[in-house]
Amino acid sequence: MGGVAASDTSATPGRHDRVGSVAGVVRGPRSAWAPGRLLGLAIGAVFAMPVAFVVWRTLRLGASLPDALAEVPGPLWRTIQLAVLVSATAAIVGTGVAWLTTRTDLPFRRTWRIALVLPLALPSFVGAAAFIAGLAPGGFIHDALDLVGITPPRRFRGLGASWLVMSAFTYPYVMLPVVARMANLRTSLEESGRLLGFSATQTFVRVTLPQLRPAILGGTLLVFLYSVSEFGAVQLLGYDTLTRVIYSTRQTNRALSFAAATVVLVLALGVVALERSQRGRSGADDRTATGSPRTIRLGWRVVPAVAACLAVLSVGLLVPLLSLGTWAQRGLADGRIGFSELVDPAISTATIAVIAAVIAVLVVLPVAAGSIRRPHPTSQIASVSVVVGFAIPGIVIALSLAVLTLNTPLLNRFYQSAGLLVLAYVIHFGSQALAGTETAVRAVPDHVRESGKLLEPNALRRAWSIDWPLMRPGLLAAGGLVMLSTLKELPITLLLSPIGFSTLATEIWSSYEEGFYAATGLASLVLIAISATLTWVLVLRRSEAVSS
Amino acid sequence: MMTATTATSTSAAGASRRRLSISVLALATFALAAAACGSDSGGAGENGTVTIYSGRAERLIQPILDDFSDTTDIAVDVKYGDSADLALLIEEEAVAGNVQADVFLSQSPGSIGFLDDAGRLGELPTATLDLVPPTVRDAEGNWVGFSGRQRVLVYNADLVDEAELPSSVFDMTAPEWAGRVGVAPGNGSFQDFVTAMRVTEGDDVTMQWLDDLAANDPITYSNNSAIVAAVGRGEVDTGLVNHYYNYRALDEDPGLPSRNHQFAPDDPGSLLIVTGAGILADSDDPALATELIDYLLSPSGQEYFADETFEYPLAIGVEPSGDVPPIEFSDVSNFDYGQLGGGLEQTRQMIADAGLQG
Repeated sequence: MGGVAASDTSATPGRHDRVGSVAGVVRGPRSAWAPGRLLGLAIGAVFAMPVAFVVWRTLRLGASLPDALAEVPGPLWRTIQLAVLVSATAAIVGTGVAWLTTRTDLPFRRTWRIALVLPLALPSFVGAAAFIAGLAPGGFIHDALDLVGITPPRRFRGLGASWLVMSAFTYPYVMLPVVARMANLRTSLEESGRLLGFSATQTFVRVTLPQLRPAILGGTLLVFLYSVSEFGAVQLLGYDTLTRVIYSTRQTNRALSFAAATVVLVLALGVVALERSQRGRSGADDRTATGSPRTIRLGWRVVPAVAACLAVLSVGLLVPLLSLGTWAQRGLADGRIGFSELVDPAISTATIAVIAAVIAVLVVLPVAAGSIRRPHPTSQIASVSVVVGFAIPGIVIALSLAVLTLNTPLLNRFYQSAGLLVLAYVIHFGSQALAGTETAVRAVPDHVRESGKLLEPNALRRAWSIDWPLMRPGLLAAGGLVMLSTLKELPITLLLSPIGFSTLATEIWSSYEEGFYAATGLASLVLIAISATLTWVLVLRRSEAVSS
Repeated sequence: MMTATTATSTSAAGASRRRLSISVLALATFALAAAACGSDSGGAGENGTVTIYSGRAERLIQPILDDFSDTTDIAVDVKYGDSADLALLIEEEAVAGNVQADVFLSQSPGSIGFLDDAGRLGELPTATLDLVPPTVRDAEGNWVGFSGRQRVLVYNADLVDEAELPSSVFDMTAPEWAGRVGVAPGNGSFQDFVTAMRVTEGDDVTMQWLDDLAANDPITYSNNSAIVAAVGRGEVDTGLVNHYYNYRALDEDPGLPSRNHQFAPDDPGSLLIVTGAGILADSDDPALATELIDYLLSPSGQEYFADETFEYPLAIGVEPSGDVPPIEFSDVSNFDYGQLGGGLEQTRQMIADAGLQG
């Protein structure tokens, strides 16, 4: 963490000089920022609660270090391998499809843009299960491969399988923030690149990519943390990771379980520090676009471009959809299942996901603003504690909030309330809002803020007419990710929801665990349909208005 | 992007969009409030309310809970989840002196044994305990089994000839089964089965069997459902599971080639694993809770499990469904289920020491 602080202070002086000259007039003295810093720290403290809980429990249960060290190394190494491979793949795929669907003349690119987000909509365990079913004899992929004379492998499991499935389910974590960043990229630089005779590819690599770096890094970090805390899919794919240690010992050897969770935390903190150190000073060069970006003509390359998008979508969405459809169709045909029992869970799911998304963005915004505009060790601490919440398995977050509310006199009435459930979602998924909100904050560069202050003294009106239009793509991407994650969240929902509250994810899980595949399929299809609708209506359509 | 003209049109379109987003948010808040109120008001029964934490899936148990409510006018509030997670949550509630549930229904003896060991369960009335044979309840009388599943070998009839299947689980470590057996070492029912083996055969024999199994290149899965599905699609020839998952699988897709094979009745591989019901020591209405458990053990409750979930009824005098092969209780489970809870960590450790992920 020392590295993080060092790089920030080195970046700070220049900005202070520049900001100070104007801010001295407009903003008042620097001490006026103290409340903002305190707010950031307070938010950070709320987000750090599960971390504190894990460490406290590990110490209190007296975890035996030799025991932990005996069980942890193998799973830890496998976890790191998977997380690195998946992160790298998601970074490339996510950036690639973001560019193809925003900057080129790819046919039906709006449709692609929404379809390519949807692999994020399925709980990973059911996505993986459906993918495996597609590979099995009688499954869609199996039959397709048979047609071309290929015998698929008998078993689809291990690192390779986990890498493929996890990458296909996680690249939207990179794609969404990158699409948001592209929406207000400074295109004048690209024009300059073109004038210098750069090809489209050269322009992308040498001009566009550096500007996208914070968005790509932020999204990739999410993918890494997701891979580290993922349990259901890797279990189904027979790949043994640290989360398996946490889960399999959570009842029989609690000390070891919490020790393994601490290892996950340390790993996450290390990676977050690395990401922070790699961001560089790109924040300073984030001036916003003044003209519409030029659409790049793909020409003959449209064929590989479409093929690439189709391949990505096949693994992440089409194959699972076909399996789920087959399951559901079997049940619908003989009337075993119907839509009526899904209406209530569908409404609860959509409602709570939208609420969690809005609150997460509002809560994380001050933290993002702090770390971008007023870099300081305290704002870094707040931002890091928001990020690591994603690396802690949901079951641990749920237990930590249960313990906190149960044992705090004034808070215990909120135990198993909708409010606590939303708080848990916000803590777990706040990190997903961070990348987007940071992009949004960067989209309003200092020079725009400063001129804005001179032109419009009313802060509210300024926020509406200047900040909101510029920040909108980033904020919508942030809220969109939280919404999609909340829609499919399982362990927190099961433990912390008010009694009798069920969501589509809990329906999917309880059906799947007992082998009710028809019901699993139908509930999953409804979940995908709701995710698609909400993503389109609330997120993409709104960003669209700005970017086109 | 933000030229003067687009800015104007954006703000015009923005106004309608703003109204839409405000109404969506208002609607969402309203729906949530309605849902929250709904769950409160729906919970009031004429004769009180029983709160259940259920590790048994909703689809397997909600119908019989609804019957109970209809018959007794006692309302039932249920929180569903994984048995182990719910047991941990109850433990945290109990430490804080704020237990919500009256009844805990566990998918396996392990999780209810965990709560029993922690002293969180109250003693059940003798009349309730006596509804089942002594072999399928806690020796101290703190919990009772209410349905049973037998450990079996599920096999793919297209890939394996039934005649070559052995009569003991000890034979599954023979060379001819190398790479052909699916197991779920991290799953509660596999661990219960290994614990039972430790009780009946001793730790040395069990450790040897685990070592031999691990050396025989088994394919590991996360749970019973995953094994049955894998056997059904021909990914692995056989698997050690609970019997009723294959009935479920065939119910979903009658064309599947997966079949159950029973080991000899006195073999550890034929263990009967019970689901468990207990009343929390801090329950504010143990009488209502007892009424619920008695209902699960009544003929109508037990017939539900026999006919609808393909399980073995445990209450004395209720026969299994015609679909499942009959078993003799006295043969399959002659040991104290209470031993499963406390011994579980050592079992898990032995499974891990053998090199099976567990």
